[in-house]
Amino acid sequence: MVVSLLLAIPAAAGLWLVTGGRALPLAAARLLSATAVGLTLVLSLAAAVSRQGIDRPWLPDLGVRFSFGVDGIAVPLVLLTAAIGALVVAHAWVEVPEGGTPATFLGCLLLVEAGALATFTARDAILFFVAFELVLVPMWVLISRYGDRHDDQARADAGHRFVLYTAFGSTLMLVGILALVTFTGTSDLRELAAGAGAALPPDRQLLVAALLVTGLAVKVPVFPVHTWLPPAHTIAPTAGSVLLAAVLLKMGTYGLVRLPVATVPDGFARLSPVLAVLGVVGIVWGALVCLVERDLKRLIAYSSVAHMGFVVLALAAGTETGLQAALFANIAHGVVSALLFVLVGGLKQRWGTVDLSVARPALRETSPRLGFVLVLGLAASLGLPGLAGFWGELLAVYAAWAPADNRPRALFVGCAVVAAVGAALAAAYALRVARRVWVGDVPEPEAGTTRDTRGVEAVVLTTLALGVVVLGVLPGPLLAVTADAVARIGGAR
Amino acid sequence: MNPWPVVLLPALASLAGLLLGRDRRLSRAVAVAAAALTLLLTLVAWAVQGEEPVRGAGPSIRTGELSVPLDVVSNPSLAAVAFIVALVALAVQVYTVWYLVDDDRYPVFAATVSLFTSSMLLVVHSGDLVLTVIGWEVMGWCSFLLIGHWSRRHSARRAAHKAFLVTRLADIGFLLGVIGLAAGARTTDLGEVVESWGRPGADDTLRALFLTLIVIGVLGKSAQLPFQDWLADAMEGPTPASALIHAATMVAAGTVVLAALFPLLAESPGARWVLGISVSLTMVLAAALAFAQSDLKRLLAWSTVSQVGVMLSALAAAPIEAGPDAGLFHLWSHAVFKALLFLALGWAAVIAGGTAAYALRGSAAAAPLLRVSLLFGLLSLAGVPLVVGGLSKEHVVAVAWEGAVHGGPGLVVLVALLTTAALTGAYCTRAYLLLTAHVRPQRSSPRLPPAVQGVLSGLVLLSVLGGLVLLTDAFAVGEFSLTWVVITTLAVLVGVLVALRGGFDRDPAEVLVPRFIPLADRGLGADAAYRRLVAEPVLALARLVSFLDTEVVDAYVRGTAVATRVAGRAGARAHRGERPGSAVGLVLAALVLLGLAGVLAWS
Repeated sequence: MVVSLLLAIPAAAGLWLVTGGRALPLAAARLLSATAVGLTLVLSLAAAVSRQGIDRPWLPDLGVRFSFGVDGIAVPLVLLTAAIGALVVAHAWVEVPEGGTPATFLGCLLLVEAGALATFTARDAILFFVAFELVLVPMWVLISRYGDRHDDQARADAGHRFVLYTAFGSTLMLVGILALVTFTGTSDLRELAAGAGAALPPDRQLLVAALLVTGLAVKVPVFPVHTWLPPAHTIAPTAGSVLLAAVLLKMGTYGLVRLPVATVPDGFARLSPVLAVLGVVGIVWGALVCLVERDLKRLIAYSSVAHMGFVVLALAAGTETGLQAALFANIAHGVVSALLFVLVGGLKQRWGTVDLSVARPALRETSPRLGFVLVLGLAASLGLPGLAGFWGELLAVYAAWAPADNRPRALFVGCAVVAAVGAALAAAYALRVARRVWVGDVPEPEAGTTRDTRGVEAVVLTTLALGVVVLGVLPGPLLAVTADAVARIGGAR
Repeated sequence: MNPWPVVLLPALASLAGLLLGRDRRLSRAVAVAAAALTLLLTLVAWAVQGEEPVRGAGPSIRTGELSVPLDVVSNPSLAAVAFIVALVALAVQVYTVWYLVDDDRYPVFAATVSLFTSSMLLVVHSGDLVLTVIGWEVMGWCSFLLIGHWSRRHSARRAAHKAFLVTRLADIGFLLGVIGLAAGARTTDLGEVVESWGRPGADDTLRALFLTLIVIGVLGKSAQLPFQDWLADAMEGPTPASALIHAATMVAAGTVVLAALFPLLAESPGARWVLGISVSLTMVLAAALAFAQSDLKRLLAWSTVSQVGVMLSALAAAPIEAGPDAGLFHLWSHAVFKALLFLALGWAAVIAGGTAAYALRGSAAAAPLLRVSLLFGLLSLAGVPLVVGGLSKEHVVAVAWEGAVHGGPGLVVLVALLTTAALTGAYCTRAYLLLTAHVRPQRSSPRLPPAVQGVLSGLVLLSVLGGLVLLTDAFAVGEFSLTWVVITTLAVLVGVLVALRGGFDRDPAEVLVPRFIPLADRGLGADAAYRRLVAEPVLALARLVSFLDTEVVDAYVRGTAVATRVAGRAGARAHRGERPGSAVGLVLAALVLLGLAGVLAWS
């Protein structure tokens, strides 16, 4: 019941807003969506506590069941999605982009949230795929309709690229899911994880794992299939960027954990060296691009590629520590990147562009609160202990150093070393941004000032900043939530 | 006593200071009161500390196969070090109230100092490698914030940036060493790690490798070769921050970490040689650079680099049975006299309006307390017998001698220590001559609040009587022979006499090594070397990667789009059927394909 409502409320509200309520004035649409996301947030908490699920026959001929529920791996992501959903709707009090009616905009936000929640709660592989795909459409609308108005060509390009690229990945994933379901005769993720998938012969496991990993790698994104992300992030409105970074990318890593890692462990183990290498290449690649990138929004998108590299590396290691690291880093990146995108979106709204080569008065001087949040986000991004980024990345490097027994040890140790170098590069680009934006000379009176954050924007930023600090100082609760589910997956191996 | 309150109190003070934000008086009260309370707590903890180590259970976290208990520990020497850290922190907080009285960002500064103190205390009391990493990295970040406090100045921004990046680069080694040790022991608990790797049958090569990696991290944080150049630039930070970074935190943290790992370090000759060679070269080089600095604050900075080398040399050279306490004792005494020197020099700089040697000439004459502070600070730094700095240096020399007898890098260290003693004597003499030179007109001192005067007096007293700490059982140091005292004192005397060659009224550096001064001011060009060897290649690689990303990796994506569009247009044209030619073409193409297939099937 709780889970059904959790999915139904944002879906219904969102659907109505993009269809019947399309012409609704901003104030009414905002109120409706705020109510919906508020209820969803409460329900997500209830679902996390009660852990109830729903299970009905859906397509009996195919053996597909309408089965949703949460376990330790899903709970943090469901809570993150509900929280981020609430924050992006709240952000509509700060900025509603042009390009369509405000009701459609808000409706798309709600639909993305609903689709993501369905993805994270689906307990059936086919349902998972359907939910995974549903998110694409509202996200595409957000990018190509409500994106940056400066350049129509770039906007269309980013929207198309996002849809075609990720749909291409999803197609591969669909083939993988269908192969898995055909081979095993079940699409229930719990049965698949409990041994139905692991019982497959090795070459079939490898085939399924290869298809699933390649398909999901696009969404994560893993180097070299990451090039859809920077334009999408740059063009998308702030709320869209936040959803992309904090929710959509998470669907990719979540899919990796749920499908290949849990269902075809041996096949995944054979692919894991490749994945680990691509992960660390992504870490270094993303960080290096960040050292010279001029557009701040693109820079943060590339830093996402680097951070997701840590997640992929940890997953590839194949130990419980690795899984714990990946799940933690996943959530941490969600909160940190949401913080940075809200902030940078705010700066773009104030300045028009976020080109780093344009000299501007120091944020620390003109708007201390924005400056503080920026420096907090940058510190979290470089993995400073006491902030969210630290635990996942430390444990990821550890996991790579001590991988599972069926992984090539020397290669993984090499990956751990490169990942540690990547962590140092992260410091270099974070400080680069800090030096360009945060500190500087006393602003000249005529140089123009940057309005400091207040009102709803300040509330959104403060909430995210608190999340960053709490995750960093008290990692225990989150690690404890995922520990049992991780042990079950680890035990299935 | 459980060490957690000692660690957490300053952290909470920092949080409170940030939340109170704008209210200057309130944040001042919080910062100073918390520092005083922390000092009280460390004093009580030290008093009740018995011989046996005390543990404070940590919030163990669940990370799969790896056990991460996050405990803290305390023992007599750690309690003593924690006390001196808290003492210096209090001195710095009190001093800051006066020093940054006109600064609009004082509350942030005070909160950062509190956080800095907390992280150093965490490193001191850490019983878990992860806690060590946490304290270690947070300290690095706090140093970035403090050095860059006056971020309206370009030089301060650059110095902060450089300090963080250089130490972070070295931290790659630290992190990997910690992870390697933890992976071998399957736990991050320090005691278990030491036990597991200290067992006979543990892999010697791996242990030496991991210890070397950790030593690299320590060399970075402690500004030893080849990472030495960030610390002198860090003088761009406000003087209280310099006092904190140099006296009791940051640069000294490496000594604490290596002391905790000493049983393993002592069994890893490779790591000891790396450490020994680096610190020996550093202490001599830094002392030589200190002598020729034209800025007295930078002179103190180089003296810190040199003295931290002395601390670490005790760990590099000491035989395993001697233990790490000689190094920790030198940390303790260095904290006292270096805090004293920085705070006194900051006062002198306020009087003189700058830290350059020519500006500071004669400034010590402005107040008797200033003169006394500088005198005793420099006496300690020079390592004159009986003052605290002399006493701790003798212990370092004693363990180096013992180590030299046992083999290992002891002999190198011993030679370096004697050379350093002479050079230190010389630059301390120079500093004192400059600061007390006779100049007209006499400057007058601004009125110092009684609290700051109390701080300086207390530190002077401690620099004279601090050696009494050896009467407690805080530091398990052995005996030192009178012969070595005579030898090192002679070395110091030689340095002093050489510095006095030009008489009392001239700058010894200008008399002895006039052409070395500009070179020393540039730190021998290490900054340019860092840029050429590390920064520029990395940036060039970054430009290449950025180019590859858009022009190669993404070209495939664009390529598929273009190919699809072209194929689509071609198909559309073919199907439009406006020209009969296209149908004929299709038929012809089909025939050719069929023919080809037939030929292939036939053969």
